[in-house]
Amino acid sequence: MSEEEFQLGEVVFSSSEIEKKITDLAQRLNQEYAASRPVLVCVLKGAVFFAVDLSRKLSFDFDLEFIALSRFRSGAGKAVIEKDVETELRNREVLIVEDIVDTGLTLHFLINTFRKRTLKEVRVCTLLDCPARRIIDVAVDYACFEIPDIYVVGYGLDFKGRFRNLNEIRVLKDPYGRSTQILKQMGKE
Amino acid sequence: MSKGNPERNSRVKIITISREVESWGDEIGNYLASVLSFRVVDSKNFHEHLKKYYPNLPPEPPPGEKERNIWLRKARFCFEKIAQESPLIILGRGGQKIFENHPDSFHILVVASLQTRLQRVVQKYSQEETIALRILLQQDKKRERFLLEKFDVEWKNPALYHFTINTSFYSVEKATELILEAIESFQRETRSQLGSPPRKPSIFAHPSEEEFAKLLDFYGIKWLYEPKTFPLEWDEEGNVVEAFTPDFYLPEFNTFIELTTQRQKLVWRKNKKVRKFRELYPDLKIKIIYSRNLEHIRKKLELEDE
Repeated sequence: MSEEEFQLGEVVFSSSEIEKKITDLAQRLNQEYAASRPVLVCVLKGAVFFAVDLSRKLSFDFDLEFIALSRFRSGAGKAVIEKDVETELRNREVLIVEDIVDTGLTLHFLINTFRKRTLKEVRVCTLLDCPARRIIDVAVDYACFEIPDIYVVGYGLDFKGRFRNLNEIRVLKDPYGRSTQILKQMGKE
Repeated sequence: MSKGNPERNSRVKIITISREVESWGDEIGNYLASVLSFRVVDSKNFHEHLKKYYPNLPPEPPPGEKERNIWLRKARFCFEKIAQESPLIILGRGGQKIFENHPDSFHILVVASLQTRLQRVVQKYSQEETIALRILLQQDKKRERFLLEKFDVEWKNPALYHFTINTSFYSVEKATELILEAIESFQRETRSQLGSPPRKPSIFAHPSEEEFAKLLDFYGIKWLYEPKTFPLEWDEEGNVVEAFTPDFYLPEFNTFIELTTQRQKLVWRKNKKVRKFRELYPDLKIKIIYSRNLEHIRKKLELEDE
């Protein structure tokens, strides 16, 4: 399939829908973390937009950190942390901030990594949760939206580095119209 | 003793107990059943269970090797199905032969010295020692003959059992505790064998399977390639006529993975197999990864940021 065939499709979640969900999530986190100072770990690069908007609505103290993993390549050995957090995590509550949880592979790796470093709880919040693509079961504590098995871009999520800057989340059009059908079922036309 | 942790004993689904007369095998079986919340199958209800699946099947194997093997396959199938709903402890009835080499079974032999058993009979039934001894020896002989003639099993052959315990030295509670430890250790050992290397020389049936294996390696997820075949359908003689071998097993997650890279028209066949698998083995987790899922994974992991 050539790159030209990948075109932006329908809006799945508008910027106002995203903002509302993030406000709701922030209110929940404000209650649950009121008495502590967690470390928010934003997973680069996709979660940056979400992490920034979310963190601006938080009323409790927190440390903001960033982490980046090496990318999978056929023949690549093991995943390595290319950009690590700088805060000492021992005995700190960690909240991983993801753009999307789909296969669960990256998240499982991160949860394992942080559990070894902190003896306290590691929780996960994500903008999008796609359980239909899950390979391994991982627990997602907070999710703004659940999506079916469609490829989406925007609000930090990219395709070949493009579309991150969209204010809304849109489907990447597929030539067979499958995603359009799924969106119709969701009531998004 | 506290109630067993269901997670702890989740893999062993069938425990068989063979026991000498008055060796406390029944008491241990019942105690173990209450600790683990397993169902007890004994001589009183064994045939009733068999008849649910095979109304005309006799309670024990008929004469002849071929007939015996058919009976054994059917009995194994029947109790496997029952164990899927509720795990079992089978007291006697050739359980060690019916579930010989079954990966989810654990075979126990309970013995005690003749002197110990004799004292137990004398106390329990207020019998004279000479009469009690005669009864004991007769019963032992009867069990030995039953297993040899009906099941072609040498009853006291230690190789048939995972664990043998002599209750001349242990109470019912202590013996049960030791058995629970043995089961736990057995599960740990078999799990680590399942998840241990070497596994690299696997020959994949399809390039996408190799790619998937590399993906799992990348994230440090242990996997096994096609480690187990599951029967899905049997003919009237108990022969397997349809089976299913999932592509991967992830031991840490106790999950089987089936990759589907076929054309959509052929996918329904695989879906049908997976449906049957889920019906027959409801306690096993399986996930299907369709070609579009793989495409999405490729898009996300390989092409991102390029």
